[in-house]
Amino acid sequence: METSAAGLEKAIKAIKIGLSLPEQDHLHRELEELLGWLEPLLAFNTGETEPLLFGHEAVNVLREDHPQEGRLAELQEAAPNFAGGFYLVPKIMD
Amino acid sequence: MKYEVVIGLEVHVEMLTGSKLFCSCPNRFVAEPNVNTCPVCLGFPGALPQLNREALQQALRAAVALNCKVALYSYFDRKNYFYPDMPKGYQISQHYIPLGSNGFLDIEDEKGELKQVGIGRVHIEEDAGKLLHEAGGASGGSSMVDYNRAGGPLIEIVSEPDLRSSGEARRYLEKLKSIMQYAGVSDCKMEEGSLRCDANVSLRIPGDQSFGIKTELKNMNSFRAVEKSLDHDIKRQARILDSGEKVVTQTLRWDEDRQETIVMRGKLEAGDYRCFADPELAPIELTAEEVELARQNLPEMAAERARRFVEQYGLPEYDAGVLTASRCLADYFESCLEHFNKPKEVSNWVMGEFSAHLNNAGLEADQASFTPEDMVELLKMIDEQVISGKIAKEVLEKAFVSGKKPRLVVEEEGLLQISDQSELEAIIDRVISENPDTVESYRGGKGKALGHLVGQVMKATRGKANPQLVNELLVKKINS
Amino acid sequence: MELRKTTVRQAADAVWKGEITAHQLIEKTLKNCSVLNEGLNIFTYLAGIDAVEQAKAVDQKIKNGEKPPLAGIPVAVKDDLCYGVLPTGLGSPAFSEFISPVTAAAVERLMEAGAVVIGKTNLDDMGQGSTTLSSPNGPTVNPWLAGRTAGSAGAAAVATGVCMLAVESDSGGALRQGASHCGVAGLRPTTGRVSRHGLNAHCSSFARVGITAFSGEDISEVLDLISGFDERDAATAVCREGISEIIKAPGSKDITIGYPVTAFDYLEPELREIFEQARERFAEGGYRIEEVDLGLLREGLLAYYVIAMAEAFSNHARFDGIRFGKTAEADSLEEMYEQSRAEILGREARRRSIFGAFLLSKDNYGRYYRQALKIWEMVRQEFETVFERCDLLMLPAARSLPRSLEGESGFLEGWSEDLYCAPVSLSGMPALTIPAGQVDQLPVGMQLVGPPFSEKMLLAVGSASGSTGK
Ligand SMILES: [Zn+2]
Repeated sequence: METSAAGLEKAIKAIKIGLSLPEQDHLHRELEELLGWLEPLLAFNTGETEPLLFGHEAVNVLREDHPQEGRLAELQEAAPNFAGGFYLVPKIMD
Repeated sequence: MKYEVVIGLEVHVEMLTGSKLFCSCPNRFVAEPNVNTCPVCLGFPGALPQLNREALQQALRAAVALNCKVALYSYFDRKNYFYPDMPKGYQISQHYIPLGSNGFLDIEDEKGELKQVGIGRVHIEEDAGKLLHEAGGASGGSSMVDYNRAGGPLIEIVSEPDLRSSGEARRYLEKLKSIMQYAGVSDCKMEEGSLRCDANVSLRIPGDQSFGIKTELKNMNSFRAVEKSLDHDIKRQARILDSGEKVVTQTLRWDEDRQETIVMRGKLEAGDYRCFADPELAPIELTAEEVELARQNLPEMAAERARRFVEQYGLPEYDAGVLTASRCLADYFESCLEHFNKPKEVSNWVMGEFSAHLNNAGLEADQASFTPEDMVELLKMIDEQVISGKIAKEVLEKAFVSGKKPRLVVEEEGLLQISDQSELEAIIDRVISENPDTVESYRGGKGKALGHLVGQVMKATRGKANPQLVNELLVKKINS
Repeated sequence: MELRKTTVRQAADAVWKGEITAHQLIEKTLKNCSVLNEGLNIFTYLAGIDAVEQAKAVDQKIKNGEKPPLAGIPVAVKDDLCYGVLPTGLGSPAFSEFISPVTAAAVERLMEAGAVVIGKTNLDDMGQGSTTLSSPNGPTVNPWLAGRTAGSAGAAAVATGVCMLAVESDSGGALRQGASHCGVAGLRPTTGRVSRHGLNAHCSSFARVGITAFSGEDISEVLDLISGFDERDAATAVCREGISEIIKAPGSKDITIGYPVTAFDYLEPELREIFEQARERFAEGGYRIEEVDLGLLREGLLAYYVIAMAEAFSNHARFDGIRFGKTAEADSLEEMYEQSRAEILGREARRRSIFGAFLLSKDNYGRYYRQALKIWEMVRQEFETVFERCDLLMLPAARSLPRSLEGESGFLEGWSEDLYCAPVSLSGMPALTIPAGQVDQLPVGMQLVGPPFSEKMLLAVGSASGSTGK
């Protein structure tokens, strides 16, 4: 099994938040604390219990297929970088 | 070749719903970017997804049409990764329990024998937006994102690695397309992106139990491109293996201009998507009866329709097979029949000239500007001897390309058939006087000679003469 | 009219009768709010002119002969609930000017009933916490004792009397602990009862929209208004055919209150006493008391955090700097993501996102996440078992008195405060916090938990047991 440091490194990569090295070190210490805190969870015998996936009991909640006009005019106001009808991001090299 | 080819295909088809998968935005193509968007499909804080009933129904139809076992309990998962075309930072998909699994479809193998191709899974997922990379212009050094397609309803269909040649892969796609079209799930137009295909391909020594190292092929925009890029990569892999080297796992992209596969740079390594059940959606529960009902209510499929064409219209089996291979073409054929009830004549023209032009233009029958009404107009002109069959071919081509009505083409081009007796008699007199030997042989009992004379008249009128009338007049003149 | 001494019903009646116009009431409220806000840091935004316009519209309705049930009632809205007129700050520095295209369903319903939105209330970083200590705007001060946290700003708004109602989210217990720390009543409803459309949830499985007010009686005035099916939130489909309420009259032997003996062991002795006294009061009030076993509180707390972090990782992924919020100047996509997200997500949101990504990874999914889902099911079953024998259950809302605003403690210490609230969140059952007593001039609340859709019974019992918070 991989070390907590290796797992943390992957997690940091996965969430795409720029973190300074001291911040990463600090998070690693916190992660160690967290894993210690969670030990009773791992130790707990859950027997044959099936995992619960949904907090609600709703099933088959379906919307009728009636299209409605889009709402771009309201939405584009919130965009930090919008021009010519497009959302802009730094140039992506393919 | 000394290797056995192993191919598996991953196909995405866009479903034919009115609205998107989890919101009410229109599910149709518009040129203007980002107009079909709302807080849900743009992932705004506080907006929750709402599953489209019709999308679920269509996906269920797809699953039963592909002979799948349908999960009576399934739900949606989040597949988490970042890319600007993915508004929420995750794609809603069915990772753990696909709606359909263990299905199959039948194709002909290389020897022309029936072969069952396994289908591993059929699941529902949402589409991503579209990224455009343009230099300069309004965007400067930016890439541009259009979310019109984001949240669109897709089904992913994953085949087992049962295909053994690029030809089989193409026939699998053709069959899949036909089934999806007939089931009313998708129009499957690969050129427009409503059917997208990725391929996994590897080689192994025949008899080997394990698979070789595979490559993934992407960016193929037509069935021909799938076939060609597979052939290209099969040859490339064979060369590598021949030289004793190892194939490397990689993703390649088909370059249509260069007609070769190119290794994709910057492609994410097979990531850890950290999938988990989406807590914002409700699970899907189906009863065995609902699934059975969906199976029974499946629309007529290609084979059934072909059988009906033979029985109802008296078409040869060959015609029926060709016409029904594409649902659009079969629909086109039947639309024509509504106003021109001569099935074999219609079939000849739809299968022949019309299909040839479609193929050249890379279009489906419902995309052609030459509509069933135009076809009927054309056929009626032949029937009424306004134009000859030969001229009709010319008219069809011109009308197909220009989008003009066939009758207008005939008028503009002066293609009306010459049925005027005096006009024809003058030409016939000239032909008789210019070909005394041929006239003599006809008189001497050589029936074939008459054909030559008719040909001369047609040539002189550039095909516009009414052939029947020419025949009659010639015989009369020579015998008089 | 002094709002602290008035019920919602009385205040709306006064507006109907013209004893005070909605306009006058709201003008006065706004003035009080801005004064109080300087010391207590309750509001991120005050509605000002917009609230006045709303109030005038209510007055017009009354002139037209309508009787809006909440005529002129000032409402505070937590800043993770979207309200299209004011900014929706989400507890992120990058969203201080974000105008949402959405308005939360609960807010819409209250406004239709004549309530007036006074402002948006402070919250933790992306709504994650039960103290407001991680708020980018600084913490909200407890109106009872400066130097202590309020728990939730909505509870502080109600406790000071500037607002009569607060609409708040509650995932691990922010609403319930806030009510406890400020000596007011706060209801977390049954799963699916109140639409979450318009709530920016950090944890979709457990986030609920609830109401904080002076008393259970006031909450009763609005519960029906905000309850019921909303096609924009799938979970509310359980209310599609209506709600079958569990209703029992308070003070009768018909109602059995579960007393989880060992649960109180986690409390400081002076707090423990309050619950022993509460038990006695209930017994004197004619309720049957039954000792029950709640053995999974600690495991429930841990499972809650594993699931909450996993979901925060995913729910926060939409904050990529492209469609809303702020974006950082950057040369590459990767840099744009990293810089923008670092600006949008504060320390708590980063922590939870990163640990969530860690716990959901291929290596850890089975060990941590799946195990947490199993414990979730076991906790749900445990509560279900309790309600086979009892009508409701009494529990503390917080482990300790409100925390000091000074001095930093470890993050796990903070999370551990949710010991009594988080397991109730796992159960999906409704919980009402009501004041139970005081220690060192600070209020201490108690949760009354009931089976699904027992809110009316909880509110009746809560109201009858007498609020000491005013
Ligand atoms: Zn949409």
